Amino acid sequence: MQTTTPQLAETIGALGLGAADTGAAFEVATGPAWAMLIPMLPLLGAAIMGVCAIMGVRSKLPAWITVGLLGFSAVLAAAMYAWLPENGRAVSVAWEWINVSWGDEPGQTLKANFGFYIDSLTCLWMLFVTLLATLIALYASEYMSHDLGAGYCRFFAAFNLFVFSMACLVMGDNLLLLFLGWEGVGLCSYLLIGYHYKKHSAVFAAKKAFIVNRIGDLGLLLGVFLTFVHFGTLEYKDLFPMVQPYIEAMRQGSISDIPALVQLIPVLLMIGAFGKSAQLPLFVWLPDAMEGPTPVSALIHAATMVTAGVYLIARMYPLFLVSEWALPIVAWVGGLTALVAATIAMAQFDIKRIMAYSTVSQLGFMFCGLAFLSSVGGAFHVVTHAFFKATLFLCCGAVMHGFAGQLDLRKLSGVSFMKGWGIVGIAMLIGCLNLAGFPFTAGYFSKDMILAEAFITPGPGYQFLGVILLLTAGITAYYTFRVFFRVFVGPKHFEPGDELHGHDGHTDDHHEEHGSSSHGANSDHADENGHTPGDHEPLGGSVEERGKKSHADPEHFHPHAPGWAINGVLVTLAILSVLAAALYFFPGADKAHKGWAGGMISGSTAALVVGGEADHPTRLAAFVGAEPEQGTLFGQDPHKIMYYVSGVIGFVGIAIAFALHYAGRKESERSSADNLLQVKPIRTAHRWANAKWYVDELYDFTLRKPLWAASQIFHLIDKLLIDGLVNLVGYLPRALGKGVRPSQSGVLHGYAAAMAGGLAVILLIVLLLSL
Amino acid sequence: MSESILHVLILLPIATAAFIVSRPANEAKTVALWGSLISLVLGVVAAFQFDWSNAGAMQPEVSLVPWLPALGLSISVGADGVSMMLVLLTLLLGPICVAASFSSIKHRVKTYYAWLTVMQAAMVGVFIARDILLFYVCFEFTLIPMFVLISIYGSSNRKAAATKFFLYTFTGSILALAGLIYVIWFNATRVPVEAFAGAGEWSFQIDTLRQAAVRMSPTEQGWVFAALLLGFAVKVPLFPVHTWLPLAHTEAPTAGSVILAGVLLKLGTYGLYRFAIPFTPIAAVDFAPFIGVLAVIGIVFAGLICWVQDDVKKLVAYSSVSHLGFCVLGLFALNTMGQSGSVMYMINHGLSTGALFLLIGMVYERYHTRSMRELGGLAAKMPVWSFFMVFFVMASVGLPGLNGFISEFMCLMGTFQSSDTLAGSSIGATPGVLGPVFAILAGTGVVIGAMYLLMMTGKMVWGPLREPKGHDHDNHSELPDDLNAREIAVLTPLAVLCLVLGLFPTPVLKGIEAPVNDTVRWVHEHGGLRLYRDPAPARVTELSPAGVVTPELAAPRAGGER
Amino acid sequence: MVSTFASMADFLAPAQASFPEGMGSVTLAHYLFVSVAMFTLGLIGFLTRRNLIIMFLCTEMMFQAAGIALIAFSRFYLHHTGQSFVIFVLTVAAAEAALALALVVLLFRGRESLNADQWHSLKG
Repeated sequence: MQTTTPQLAETIGALGLGAADTGAAFEVATGPAWAMLIPMLPLLGAAIMGVCAIMGVRSKLPAWITVGLLGFSAVLAAAMYAWLPENGRAVSVAWEWINVSWGDEPGQTLKANFGFYIDSLTCLWMLFVTLLATLIALYASEYMSHDLGAGYCRFFAAFNLFVFSMACLVMGDNLLLLFLGWEGVGLCSYLLIGYHYKKHSAVFAAKKAFIVNRIGDLGLLLGVFLTFVHFGTLEYKDLFPMVQPYIEAMRQGSISDIPALVQLIPVLLMIGAFGKSAQLPLFVWLPDAMEGPTPVSALIHAATMVTAGVYLIARMYPLFLVSEWALPIVAWVGGLTALVAATIAMAQFDIKRIMAYSTVSQLGFMFCGLAFLSSVGGAFHVVTHAFFKATLFLCCGAVMHGFAGQLDLRKLSGVSFMKGWGIVGIAMLIGCLNLAGFPFTAGYFSKDMILAEAFITPGPGYQFLGVILLLTAGITAYYTFRVFFRVFVGPKHFEPGDELHGHDGHTDDHHEEHGSSSHGANSDHADENGHTPGDHEPLGGSVEERGKKSHADPEHFHPHAPGWAINGVLVTLAILSVLAAALYFFPGADKAHKGWAGGMISGSTAALVVGGEADHPTRLAAFVGAEPEQGTLFGQDPHKIMYYVSGVIGFVGIAIAFALHYAGRKESERSSADNLLQVKPIRTAHRWANAKWYVDELYDFTLRKPLWAASQIFHLIDKLLIDGLVNLVGYLPRALGKGVRPSQSGVLHGYAAAMAGGLAVILLIVLLLSL
Repeated sequence: MSESILHVLILLPIATAAFIVSRPANEAKTVALWGSLISLVLGVVAAFQFDWSNAGAMQPEVSLVPWLPALGLSISVGADGVSMMLVLLTLLLGPICVAASFSSIKHRVKTYYAWLTVMQAAMVGVFIARDILLFYVCFEFTLIPMFVLISIYGSSNRKAAATKFFLYTFTGSILALAGLIYVIWFNATRVPVEAFAGAGEWSFQIDTLRQAAVRMSPTEQGWVFAALLLGFAVKVPLFPVHTWLPLAHTEAPTAGSVILAGVLLKLGTYGLYRFAIPFTPIAAVDFAPFIGVLAVIGIVFAGLICWVQDDVKKLVAYSSVSHLGFCVLGLFALNTMGQSGSVMYMINHGLSTGALFLLIGMVYERYHTRSMRELGGLAAKMPVWSFFMVFFVMASVGLPGLNGFISEFMCLMGTFQSSDTLAGSSIGATPGVLGPVFAILAGTGVVIGAMYLLMMTGKMVWGPLREPKGHDHDNHSELPDDLNAREIAVLTPLAVLCLVLGLFPTPVLKGIEAPVNDTVRWVHEHGGLRLYRDPAPARVTELSPAGVVTPELAAPRAGGER
Repeated sequence: MVSTFASMADFLAPAQASFPEGMGSVTLAHYLFVSVAMFTLGLIGFLTRRNLIIMFLCTEMMFQAAGIALIAFSRFYLHHTGQSFVIFVLTVAAAEAALALALVVLLFRGRESLNADQWHSLKG
């Protein structure tokens, strides 16, 4: 680590940061009052959903109200962006939330307002969050239509509450309000993962998500404590100017001037980020979170909530910059997570879980981007990923919705060619191309921004990390197109899942009957190797049994093609995810800005400069098309080189997927990839990857079980030892009483004689003493 | 605020109880409900009369109804911001407890409501007493109604539970009394008359005795503190003197549990706040790490025990032990953040845990079991109940936006800040003896809290519906499957308060800030710690002749000499 | 009052000197002797007799013995405390007599006997 410090300092120094800005005031204007409506409208929505539930609304009204309110929020977010002056920042205070004071000096008042901080980073995040939320709410209006009534209201209440929490997280003007949003999105995630609350697996997944997140939250909370203790404030507008001297110190390479406590803050904060963004070692909750309805997976567990960790680091970037350990840790955790998650995704069969692991993996890329001093790369990848991953999830959701919960890629084939599924197929293809990093897609550009930086940013083993990330990019292309080639093209075939709702008349009761044994979401457990058709007999049998009951015999099952809401949203999202690439170039006329995303980041605290001017020569200027003033790769602009390298890698990945999963595939169950599994090492590796490298089991064995045992022992100690001692104290006088009990004869004269005798003795003693 | 309204707050419940006894049994609950509602209204009136801008001072300024003037005995009442908040909590829980018992108490109704009402008087008396005699009488008197409530209206093992509860807490209280008497004696005989008004005579006034007590030597303070601590810690209950609580809670009737968790436990923390810490600040500072360790052990130990419980009421009872650990930790952070947080914790825990006990009671009335093995998945059958359950579990877990978070955050933050080491270099830290290590260890309680409470929610609320074998719907023909209007009306005020205190806590925080600041300043003046740092960076006060630097902290403690 | 005399002895001296005058040759010791005699009789009676009523009368006798001693000392020290105390004792004794006799009657009804040995249910 010692070696990194000078390097990082050198980099920051070389960039000429800070010097001009130390004196510059960090001015914060008063924001418009209507900006507060952005979080408050969804909150109102949640309240209205409650009213709907009480009134027993059984129509789609809740969905329309939600779409309307969120749409209005999105418009306001756009207005906020339009309002924002160049490099402006503003705070709108709704009310005073917490105020504790024990003196008048700085650091003796803890103040956390319900106030909203508006700068370009906030705008960037709020724009895509509200836009996606609106679209996905529209999608969900159709997707959740099987549950009209109380369940529908419950879903949209949590949905609205989520957007409120996310808005607090992103817009909060202090770390405590961020924490409110942070835990609030956790709650909504809990409620929505556990939406099908009669399913054990859903309840368990919800609980797991909340608790694992809580571990991260504890880290974040401690980070907040330390921030306050050291800086005496939690409000960004006071905090960032106070970090300025440390940045200056870093620039000059005098790291010893930065207190260790300050360097510890980002390390604590990042634990929270790792929890919320599902990074090693806290990533285990996200795949299980796929138990939730698909719109939820798309919005919360792919596009928005899980990027909160990235947002936190971007928001607190100045603090991360002044720590010599923070960013390297972020880089390595991100890189390793990307690789591990990608390997697991290769071996899964549940398409939603594949997407979940891919989310984990892509989040790793984003963290790497931040760590490679390319906050623009990280943030831009967040935006592009939000759109294309939402597209992918919603396509999977459409499939799940149409095929009665079927998610196993071996049981579906050629979906795109079925009647009414063309739009889904095309949207899926666009999403897959983005995720695979196919040249000239948005995902391609955003990933390049990160990959190239790996090779030119000084840091511990960053070049090696770059190789890992390139490898991961190849794996990503492979598993993405594995899904596409298996499910969406090829011979037409399907087996419906066991959640037969969405097909015909279905009620809550119907859902209850079948929800508890959902096999569709868990089928990956059943197939560790080989997966001969015989393996699935129990499943088939059970489906038939249920079929008789619910009049939905698989023989007569007809896929339920998506309606206008789903298709419309998919088209919109697909177009948006293509257009996102444009943000990379336009409006890039101004060399310093380097695209819209670059401008948004460089105007905020996530840039390397605090309180700096927009056209300050930052690292951001090193992006494509600009003069390669920073590091080079093979004497070239690394970004240009990376265009070719990653393009080729993407192609290779897709080609392998094509060869293994499309070429010559005659049926849905098997493909030529299965031949590879005959080779023992590959089979073993496949089995391990399929079992998620047994991380869950490892945690269960090393953490949960010992803790459980300890709890049992504690309970025994409490009951036997501690309470036993208390009872012993109660028992002693009783035993003593038993001992002297015989002295009580019950005969009156005995007592009288004893009394007289006692008196005599006392008198005698008095007499003797007085002599 | 007039003195008479405080007197009425004590006397009205007693009068109500008398009235209940004199009326036929079928009127008892109505009378009790109206009586407690009137008390609540009076309490709100008192709160409006209270001068919040001067919340640090006892109001009314002077209150003395002489009783035995020769012995210095008087009835003297008053409230500062902290007392006022706790009185309001007590008064709020009054009608809620009464209304929650309507369907569950069927026999000996008059006795039940009479004692429940008398309990109110005693609890209010504790919080508004400015005279040790009144305080102690009320403090001890709370045992009797509770004993009756548990031993008559409890479940199967009620006798043993009631006896243990009574003897355990009574033993503790006697020790506390010994400590208090020593202070009274010390004031009458050892403090020179001219020291301050009320010195050198037999006085029971808390304000007077506080001034006397800090003149005790550190050794004396240590003994007095130990006595007070033992007395109040049993009541809190602090690990390891907590074992009466799960038993008492499991056996108590619902309203008894609510009062026990909601107010009675707070008598312990209130005692620590009002007596142990300001009376013996030197000892409080010396003991703080020790108590911090006990509190942290309690948080983790009791939290993990919760995790393996099957009886849901026992789970919530143990969770009280864990939660009150935060409360005590905050108190002994000896700074404003921690102590304000602790007072907030007293209020919030009363609301959310009280509500949890109510919810469990409602299920118990329907199913006559509290075992999570037999019961579960109630969301399918009782959606309204489930909504409230999840809501109050989240409040209890400390979800930001609800009340629990504010207090948990403040207690932990106060603990974190309370570090002499950090205070030298970081502007947000305060002098104190706990520090980050305690905060981190206690912070694990936040995770453990989520573990056991969500485990409970997962079993009770979610999952497929499980009802006890042989459960017959006619068993409770009086009650519908889901909550009825009365039960919703009982829970709603608590839920609203949880939300309001979570989103708009500042008025309450400001109300308790002034008295807490006074206490903290007092402790720091007399406990040998600096409250307000010199703005100058130098901690060096003087250069001794030998050139050795004497840090300010090494200076002799101010409160040591007589 | 105390301040007008140098000591307690000075205060008491005239009274003690006049003691024989009012009482002839009877001194404090005589009263005390009567008191002791009564007390001893009462004690012996209490210890030896089995009849509940007799035993009760014996306790009353011991009470009166104490009363005599108190009054004698009261007169000797010219201080009213002893006398007022005796009034209290008499009052209490009266109340106690009422209670005790009632108890004796109850006990008699239970066993048709006044023998104290009949009752030993308080045996530990």
